[in-house]
Amino acid sequence: MDPRELKRPLPVSRRGVVLFSIAALGIIAAFALELSPQDLAPHAGGVEIAREFFSAALSPAIDYEAEFVPDGAPPFLIRTLGAIRRTLVFAAFAMSLAIVAGLALGFLASSGSGSATIQLIARLIIAAARSVHELLWAVVFLAAFGISPASAVIAIAIPFTGVLAKIFSELLDEAPDDAAYALRAAGTSRLRAFLFGRLPSAIPDMAAYSFYRFECAVRSSAVLGFFGFETIGYYIKASFENLHYHEVWTYLYALIAVVLAFEYWSAALRKRFAV
Amino acid sequence: MNPAPDEGTYQLNNVSVTFAQTPVLSDVSFEIEAGEVLAIVGPSGAGKTTLLRLLNGMVGPSQGSVCHDRANLQSLSTSQLRRVRARIGFVHQSHNLIPNLRVVQNVVAGKLGQRGFLKSARSMIRPHSGDQAGVHALLERVGIPEKLFERTDKLSGGQTQRVALARALFQEPKVLLADEPVAAVDPARARDLIRLMVDLAREDNLTLVACMHDLSLAREFFPRMIGLRAGRVAFDTQTDEISEEVFDELYSLAAR
Repeated sequence: MDPRELKRPLPVSRRGVVLFSIAALGIIAAFALELSPQDLAPHAGGVEIAREFFSAALSPAIDYEAEFVPDGAPPFLIRTLGAIRRTLVFAAFAMSLAIVAGLALGFLASSGSGSATIQLIARLIIAAARSVHELLWAVVFLAAFGISPASAVIAIAIPFTGVLAKIFSELLDEAPDDAAYALRAAGTSRLRAFLFGRLPSAIPDMAAYSFYRFECAVRSSAVLGFFGFETIGYYIKASFENLHYHEVWTYLYALIAVVLAFEYWSAALRKRFAV
Repeated sequence: MNPAPDEGTYQLNNVSVTFAQTPVLSDVSFEIEAGEVLAIVGPSGAGKTTLLRLLNGMVGPSQGSVCHDRANLQSLSTSQLRRVRARIGFVHQSHNLIPNLRVVQNVVAGKLGQRGFLKSARSMIRPHSGDQAGVHALLERVGIPEKLFERTDKLSGGQTQRVALARALFQEPKVLLADEPVAAVDPARARDLIRLMVDLAREDNLTLVACMHDLSLAREFFPRMIGLRAGRVAFDTQTDEISEEVFDELYSLAAR
């Protein structure tokens, strides 16, 4: 036997062990969940529903599918626009709270706060805020305050504050220190040098990230409709339950259009900020 | 506001600086008179930058004392030290400007240490017309008046260093410190920049202390030179009294 082989404790490398363990965990998880390959094949009724749903994608509704529409109901497309508008208003209000709170907490959690204790407390608040998903916050606030727009807005604002604050503090800490150093050398206090020396170079990235989070807030606001808030999710759920798939697709396309519009807007802004 | 005739003096007495048990400067003593123009020369690692940072109190001596205008910098409180620094302009090796702001904002930033918080914030966002006029006049002196509203990262290396010089002058300093100000500047422009800096310091009667890597530039523009070697003062003399042999030795040291 080659003596070198004796030095090797395992016939596989460390990386091989890691990969094997991950694969083994996957198989164990599948057994634990009692998954079976047959579950993946839809039953006959399911295939029919899926076919109906996806074929409706090519002909989204421009009017109500229901035969009976109550008097005074706005035209279908107007209702779609109204739902999109409310979805955006919820998201925008939540984001305006989250950005302000996120900036304050993000600064306190960054090295600019100048105190390890303040930093630690700010980080704990941030971790608590973002470790609970907005849908769970919504459940809590629904139980406490019922269906009021404020519960939806605050449910979105809390975790978004946490995430924004975390990213803002990291961007501030990673911003180059040379300009801030020059300001300190010119007699500026540590706090002010941090703010005026670092914030300007971090702002483009902070703005780009806020835009991305705004997009996420629109999606969350839409999903909150499933709980009964009158955002677009509310109508998607209702149409889906009534098997009005063409209406569902109209709502989905409207949502996609909003996200694309955001993408276009933020790209234009990034271009203006670009270094 | 130019300094009074006797402002901008330094006395260094037996100064040593040690970082993590490594001596950077040892037993350095010299005086600088108001309005004096002098270069600090020596090979890299000799302690030039540390010496400069002693002069604005960003580094404190481990032993000895640094007196500026008869005040021992170490005996000052933080806020007193900030007030002293506010009147000391510093041109850094790499400009240390905020790249995505306009030139006018970067120059105005020189006065942040002398203004209240709200006034500072306002002047960083949209400098008022008085500031703009002041910055424009300074940019004229450093030769780039047309760059007032240019984004700073659009400028060349030489122009950026002129903005840094304008920012230092906007402080209305008594002293101008420069740490290898032309290290990142195209050699053809370096000479103009050094000449400009020395001329401006003389016009305003400022004390100018510059670390210079380029010996021929130091020799041409600075009447006094302090040579550092391994943290000690190797010589401190008027430039025209340095013999050719000493210069040859210095050049060979610098080339190493």
